[in-house]
Amino acid sequence: MKVLDLEGLTITTIASLIRKKQISPLELTRRYLDRIKELNPVLNAYLAITEEGAVAAARRAEREISKGKYRGPLHGIPFSIKDNIATKGVTTTAGSKILSDWVPDIDATVVERLKEAGAVILGKTNMHEWAKGSNSINPFYGTSRNPWDKTRIPGGSSGGAAVAVAASLCLAALGTDSAGSVRNPASLCGTVGLKPTYGRVSCFGGVEGTGGYTVNHFGILTKTVEDCALVLRQIAGHDPKDPLSSDEPVPDYTKRSRIPVKGMKVGIIKGYFDECLTGDVRRAFQDALRVLRSLGMKIQDITIPHMDLVPALHAGSSRPEANSDLDQYLRTRPRDFSPGLLYSLIAGLLIPAPVYVTAQRVRRLLCQEFDAAFESVQGIVAPTLFSAAPTIEDCQRGYIEADGKRINLQDRAGNFLTRYTIPFNVTGLPTISICCGFSSSSLPIGMQISAPPFQEGTLFRMAHAYERAAGWYKRKPPL
Amino acid sequence: MKDAVKRLNDEYRFNLSEQEIDLVAKQAEQAALLFQPLFEVDVTGITPLEKIDKRLKNKPTFKRGKK
Repeated sequence: MKVLDLEGLTITTIASLIRKKQISPLELTRRYLDRIKELNPVLNAYLAITEEGAVAAARRAEREISKGKYRGPLHGIPFSIKDNIATKGVTTTAGSKILSDWVPDIDATVVERLKEAGAVILGKTNMHEWAKGSNSINPFYGTSRNPWDKTRIPGGSSGGAAVAVAASLCLAALGTDSAGSVRNPASLCGTVGLKPTYGRVSCFGGVEGTGGYTVNHFGILTKTVEDCALVLRQIAGHDPKDPLSSDEPVPDYTKRSRIPVKGMKVGIIKGYFDECLTGDVRRAFQDALRVLRSLGMKIQDITIPHMDLVPALHAGSSRPEANSDLDQYLRTRPRDFSPGLLYSLIAGLLIPAPVYVTAQRVRRLLCQEFDAAFESVQGIVAPTLFSAAPTIEDCQRGYIEADGKRINLQDRAGNFLTRYTIPFNVTGLPTISICCGFSSSSLPIGMQISAPPFQEGTLFRMAHAYERAAGWYKRKPPL
Repeated sequence: MKDAVKRLNDEYRFNLSEQEIDLVAKQAEQAALLFQPLFEVDVTGITPLEKIDKRLKNKPTFKRGKK
């Protein structure tokens, strides 16, 4: 058996060793459980560790593989699941006080599909309360800490998921993204984070009230793009339990990710993504564009006429949807929401129905504008966030200071930490965040790549080429 | 907006303090301002977005008044 360096592991590298019986899934799982026990008290990535189930699943994987029944590249691979995704027999809190003792009697479809592939579920990850925020400062379960600097937030709402991947407390994590909740923490923790096309992955088993209906997506966090492609292939596809899921065929994404990118064209949307961009992010993004050019890709400006309406479209869609789901709790247990969330939900009750319907009509226009842009480019690139990870203190006081300026984290148009990610929620476009450099304080910075609907293969192709050329994925947090 | 918050406060039994009512009203007013530009967009003949699906992508949207 090989000696395991968990920090250097990826699914792609370890899957072949598991298949060849050079690594024991049970040994691998035990190593991850030991590391979680060592680091979770500091990082607060996991809310629940499902040790018994994980060991049983790993033992089953080992038995099957030893008998020659290898199920595929996720067989014996340790995963974490965000705590707003239903897991049968395991508490699923959604980061809320209200669901603190809720134990689902079903698995979400994505969890079912991971189990069918022989994956091992290590536990449930911490998150922002009801997934309604992006700093993962949770008043009921504590704050997840950024492994690159523990005084900083990991982002959110899938904060624990990103911490778990970045700190090597699992090999891959499932999260949800209704405003950037996978890509935002991926960016701040230096991991890969994918929000697939709307409908690409079933959302059955997502806790109601944690994402709305028309902007929410289940997503994936991994260390590398290839790993992400492997996981998507397993969890994507139509689900009769989710009528909004698509029956578009699921291709072999891994093969597509290795095709060279020379000659591909990507677009940059001017204006929207420049607002309050910090110097560190601007430099990292410009450097990333140079790498893309060095790979033979062409970069051009594109225009989306109604781009400035994105915050209104997102708020006008997601807030009434969340309110409709949480209404029963607002009526029966209002003081079991944190005060800030309660006020926001009450204000959400005052959004008139015409706002919601008009937002859906303008969203169609916006989608058409993106479709038109994709006639001249195959991808769109943008920074994932305007800055690297703020400190927990920054978030509590409500602003950061960068380049001699004060930048508010919340303004009239909503949460500034998700300003750059929400365009791809209201359009449903597949979008991946990958590390594109580090700040002057050695904090990771993320870049998003977006593609036309159901073109995740194109995303993986561009992201993988960049990732290998830039090499940022090799850096490890100082734990 | 403050009156609307007070009505909700009674209906839902939130037991909000005056200070909390002011805070929620302010948030609701800001949201109303945010949504205003949506109504300035000409959405004549544009149906609401419901599902993104490649098969539907190239179908023309229903145009009111045209047959």
